[in-house]
Amino acid sequence: MMKVSDYILKALQKEYSINSSTNLDEFNYVENGYVDSLGMIQFIVELEDEFNISFSDEEISSSEFQIVGSLIKMVERKINQ
Amino acid sequence: MKTLADCFYDTAFEHAERIAVCCDDERITYGQLADLVSQYSNFLLENGIVYGDRIGIPMNNSILSVALIFAAANIGVALVPINPTLPFEAMVSAFEAADVKHLIAREHFLSQHDVNNHLNIQGVVISMDAPYKDSYLLQEAHEMSKDRPSNEKISGEEVLIITMTSGSTGKPKPIALTQNNKYRRALAHIRLYGITSQDKVLAATPLYHSLAERLVIIPLLLGGTSVLLPRFTSALWVECVKTNQVTFSIAVSAQLNQIYNYLLQHDDKHIEIQSLRSLVSSSALLDSTIKNKLIPMLNCDFHEMYGTSETSTATSIHFKESMHKKKSVGKPLSGVSLIILDEHENECEPYTIGEIACSTELLCHSYYNMPQTFEESFFKNYFKTGDVGYLDDEGYLYFAGRKKEVIITGGINVYPQDIEECVNRVDAVSESAAFSSPSMRLGEVVGLAIVLKEGRELSEKEVRSHCAKNLADFQQPHEIVFLNDLPKNSMGKLVRSELATRK
Repeated sequence: MMKVSDYILKALQKEYSINSSTNLDEFNYVENGYVDSLGMIQFIVELEDEFNISFSDEEISSSEFQIVGSLIKMVERKINQ
Repeated sequence: MKTLADCFYDTAFEHAERIAVCCDDERITYGQLADLVSQYSNFLLENGIVYGDRIGIPMNNSILSVALIFAAANIGVALVPINPTLPFEAMVSAFEAADVKHLIAREHFLSQHDVNNHLNIQGVVISMDAPYKDSYLLQEAHEMSKDRPSNEKISGEEVLIITMTSGSTGKPKPIALTQNNKYRRALAHIRLYGITSQDKVLAATPLYHSLAERLVIIPLLLGGTSVLLPRFTSALWVECVKTNQVTFSIAVSAQLNQIYNYLLQHDDKHIEIQSLRSLVSSSALLDSTIKNKLIPMLNCDFHEMYGTSETSTATSIHFKESMHKKKSVGKPLSGVSLIILDEHENECEPYTIGEIACSTELLCHSYYNMPQTFEESFFKNYFKTGDVGYLDDEGYLYFAGRKKEVIITGGINVYPQDIEECVNRVDAVSESAAFSSPSMRLGEVVGLAIVLKEGRELSEKEVRSHCAKNLADFQQPHEIVFLNDLPKNSMGKLVRSELATRK
């Protein structure tokens, strides 16, 4: 299994690289267009499959889900549960 | 006749110091862009790419991509741009259909796919951004000569872009567009919308679709500025228009829906957009209530259009005309003639619904390697669009739908059969049907109805997982329902329209 942060960063950069100076702990990948309305479902399902976890609707619609740093923590938390 | 590349170099020479392209924080002048196009041209030639070759390119919106389009025109090779997020099987199918010999891609793409064995790239592999195994590195082009390479063989009739009608798992129809096709299409839109060297033209859709390619080419033939938005969200679009003082753009109607909602939600912030001179909505008619509220918000002229990838824009309508011709997609452009055909290919009288057929000087060159399919798409010299509609007695066209069932999500065509073919491969599935479900955000989204084999079980999560692995992002079902049977008529034919109500 790939490291959570590596996997998420690879998935987000399928089309565009994220600038190396970006502070990932605060970076909102939805507002910055790295995953759009069309791509969101695939992004979530692939993430769930990779780490054998699942997200509730509340988690998906939370602001935490859209921030790279907090999404990584959320996934790590779920893996350890 | 001058080629597309000739015209670009002429413009670049005349306006060397002017900004040619803005993308994110990057800016490039005409002089610098012409140098880059020459260097890329020399680099491709130096590495064994020759006149008439076809290069696959998972393309994103960047100055590099723009330079590669003009470099390809300059040396008479064709680009096959694809969506970088396509599932692997669909990429293979697109590259096979276009006989792709070489590949230019980001290191991220190359490291994800086994290029030589599975993508069957026989020629040169070039990495756009970082070293990857034994591929060439595009950055080395900066060491090449800035002199424009010459090739007298280039007439403009060379295929420049091969674009796929659908990024689907089904067999794609590769639409071949020559330099002259692209040039004529750009000129027709310059005339139609009165675009000048003073315009800043925004392309906010992906460059692997012909709309954005056209929006980039137009200003670069005039000495205007091309503004390229890499990733679309309504907030980024508004910010980009304001920062770059964009004056003209063509957007898909689903984007305009989102922009309208964004402006509405942020009404209290008094976001003022003053720079837009004219805006065009494409892909599907914009809801008239939204249209009437959005136009004063954007404070600009507003047009809508109808067209297909094969014919380019066929009709256009100004919003003032559309008040009297509600739901019309407009009258034919100069040089375009439309007829409506019934099922026996007889021409219909006004107000009779039939297939829209279009004769136009903007027609694509061919379907690459599919001459018979292309030939069969014509009635006399009229291209049969596969869309249905009618003309009124003043020649205004009214669009009534697609002959083939298609779901248009965020401006992208999704063919239900592609989704069903994928889902039916799951062992527990007896049959399935994809259908259109209305969405405020995307116009339509994909719904999926599944009938399971007797005694079998399958969870929604398993279906989603299978789709995520095997379909493109725009093909993912947003709603999944399990039914005991699919709605069918007395002939046993699926009645797809009933599915949306049986959820």
